[in-house]
Amino acid sequence: MATPTSPPVDQQLFVRKASGLIKGWSSIDGFRYSFFSVNLFLGIYGSYYASTVPGGSLFWAIVVTTVIVVTGVLVYAGLIAAMPRAGGDYVWQTRIFNSPIGFVLAACGWWFILWQWIPIYASLTVGSFIKPIFRIIGFNGGADWLSSKNGIFISSLCVIAVASLLVAIGMKAYAKFQVWAVIIGLVGFVAALIILAVTSKHGFQNAFNRESLKLYGTKDAYNGVVKAGGTGQPSGVFSGSIWPTLQLVPFMCFWLLWPNWGATLYGEVRGAKDFRKNVYAMGGGLLSAAFLGLIFILLIAKTMGYHFFMASQASQGVYASEYLSPVAMVTWIVNSPAIQVLLLVMLSLIVFGWWGTVFLSSTRVIFAAAFDRILPEKAAAVTSGGVPWVALLLMAIPSAVVSALYAYTTWFARLTYDATLVIAVTFLGSGLAFMIMPWRTKGIWASSALPKKKILGIPWMSVIAGIYSAFLIFNLVLWLKDAVYGVNDWKSLVFMGCLYAGALLIWVIAAITRRRQGMPLEAVAKEIPVE
Amino acid sequence: MKVRLFFATDVHGSEVCWRKFINSAKHYDADVLILGGDMTGKAVVPIVDLGSGRYRYSMQDQRHEFQSAEELAGHKRLIRDHGYYPVVMTEDGVRECSQDESKLEAVFERARLDTIAEWIAWADEKLADTKIQCIVCPGNDDKHDIDAILATSSRIMVGEGNVIDMPDKYQLVSSGWTNLTPWDTPCEEDEDSLRTRIEAVVAQATAPPERLVFGLHAPPYDTALDVAPKIDWETLTVQGQDQAHVGSTAVRAVIEEVQPLLSLHGHIHESRAAVRLGRTLAINPGSSYVEGVLSGVLVELEGKDKVKRYRLTSG
Repeated sequence: MATPTSPPVDQQLFVRKASGLIKGWSSIDGFRYSFFSVNLFLGIYGSYYASTVPGGSLFWAIVVTTVIVVTGVLVYAGLIAAMPRAGGDYVWQTRIFNSPIGFVLAACGWWFILWQWIPIYASLTVGSFIKPIFRIIGFNGGADWLSSKNGIFISSLCVIAVASLLVAIGMKAYAKFQVWAVIIGLVGFVAALIILAVTSKHGFQNAFNRESLKLYGTKDAYNGVVKAGGTGQPSGVFSGSIWPTLQLVPFMCFWLLWPNWGATLYGEVRGAKDFRKNVYAMGGGLLSAAFLGLIFILLIAKTMGYHFFMASQASQGVYASEYLSPVAMVTWIVNSPAIQVLLLVMLSLIVFGWWGTVFLSSTRVIFAAAFDRILPEKAAAVTSGGVPWVALLLMAIPSAVVSALYAYTTWFARLTYDATLVIAVTFLGSGLAFMIMPWRTKGIWASSALPKKKILGIPWMSVIAGIYSAFLIFNLVLWLKDAVYGVNDWKSLVFMGCLYAGALLIWVIAAITRRRQGMPLEAVAKEIPVE
Repeated sequence: MKVRLFFATDVHGSEVCWRKFINSAKHYDADVLILGGDMTGKAVVPIVDLGSGRYRYSMQDQRHEFQSAEELAGHKRLIRDHGYYPVVMTEDGVRECSQDESKLEAVFERARLDTIAEWIAWADEKLADTKIQCIVCPGNDDKHDIDAILATSSRIMVGEGNVIDMPDKYQLVSSGWTNLTPWDTPCEEDEDSLRTRIEAVVAQATAPPERLVFGLHAPPYDTALDVAPKIDWETLTVQGQDQAHVGSTAVRAVIEEVQPLLSLHGHIHESRAAVRLGRTLAINPGSSYVEGVLSGVLVELEGKDKVKRYRLTSG
């Protein structure tokens, strides 16, 4: 039945009652997911990288990275608008490029390398929150055990177990938890900012020395940290030369590159309004996390002293033999163990609200590849309750192996530096795919709700995709060229080479098998003639 | 003998997807084509005739103005490819349609039926002189009046409520009816009635279960084929990230009881998946009609008890 709608002058559509005419994922849901993905504490955890390039400005590196990653937000909002399908980068790249490119890049970026992220999630959570809480409550045995090889391994297994459980039970309950996690976490974060704002540098020094003596038995700790950090630390949060500041950008990608992490979860898009809505959601997540991160670092510089802060990060493992959690140091200002623990628990929710996302995209890519029959049908098997058990095993078992290598060997931990690079390569694939979409898949481009305006005959969406791709290439060049990022040594290159070779091998085996069966893989994504 | 079957569904008025569907037999080397329902579009786009050969319309929040018959044809095609019906009318006509439900209903009906007739004519021409068997089954969004137009085709067989013989003694049992939806669409009913309806069609089949193919628009309940965003039935808005199983318990019960070789479904566009329910391989290839992409599944029937070879496609 047809239903009349709004006034006639700008009447766009007359719609009838038909299934599927619904409003999509709300902006606030998208924002929340994006905010968790560009995780504040990943940024704070990674701020120690600034100590490795002393001539750069951390503040301006965050600003520059954030501004350019906005182009990535536009690219992914565009891809979602044009091809809103589960599987995300895999689907876009297989459809716009071809099956092998799409599979190899997506399998490495959304499947294999996420095994590496498990120990990162565990290390961040344990170092920033769990161990400081244990120290405050006097459970030093627990804190020490968490620093042991077994502790590192078991904490990684906990991440695997929780992430698997969340995929198994579905996102419904987790989504509700996320709502409260972001509210409580942000309340805690604002409280931390206020504490920093109203505390003098002298007040912090006293509090730091007091707690260090109490928790670690260390006297005159403030000066000890500065001394342990050495003399080559950055002097100010703003000060820095242009090139060293740009050298910090690849480090900033560690937390700012992920506003599009939930790109595959956005609903069916029907108009430019939805395109804009997704831009606002992902962009909002990026900008708000970056803004809060900048405020935090500025207040840290004011209250702790930037030189001390950098020294505390540079001297990890030297002082008291463990990571000095910036947020824990903030809570130490309050001379009350109960409030310190409460604040850390509240802040930790921003990390726990993020844990559930680590396996979600992987399972979707595995499913999409199984439906295209690159992976066996079994890879998409679900239990009667809808649990994607094979896909989960394909994540959980290798993640456990990687976590064991991370915990029990001395050489493997360094390979986690590849974790950002490999995903960036996948994003580069999608950036380039979106750039050529108006020419390569004309029909999809024409029927999409994307803005079609041009600059010098080139769609401005392609120009934006070009800027995003150039940004990623810039980072890749630095990663591969400069030893400071820890990824251009032969072990790292061999490791990444094995990932890509492994993915390609899977594709080749599937291609040969399917061709023998009379259903070539290439036909899956090839466009059917229209006329 | 090997029978190669291509199934797609939910093209929702997208002309480009319809054309791709008809051309898919050659593209995928298929013997049988099956369209699983929801052929008709959801919206009319009024193209305002401004006089003196000038036209204006808005779609996807973008306004288009042009002034030639050639451009008009191009824009009509663009609108049709998107799954909407382009209708040229005056500003007064647009105003009347927005104020008078019966006039809008008439415009919709004419656009819908005319489009189906054009599609049928095009398909008859393309499939002439081929051995391809083409079966079309309406879905819950399609009114029954299109059945009569489909029946005029020289090459298309109408699936609704029928058992259709396919090559190598396979039979297709099909129905486009679904369980209740929040949209009160033309072909939906409660689960008991739906089960009775499906069982009545199954009862007409003479082939054994291992030669039976179900083409039921609604997917089986509580599978990977029927997961959709949970929505409020009053406001038709998504409830956060909540998802729900929205398939049919009747469909699932009949599949589990009869255990056909293959069961093909649609209806839930975002639930592209394949699952095994006992011996039966149940597949929902999903729909990407909004993008002009034909999502489908290519299945090989090899005379065995179970389907071994299938591939979800995006053309």
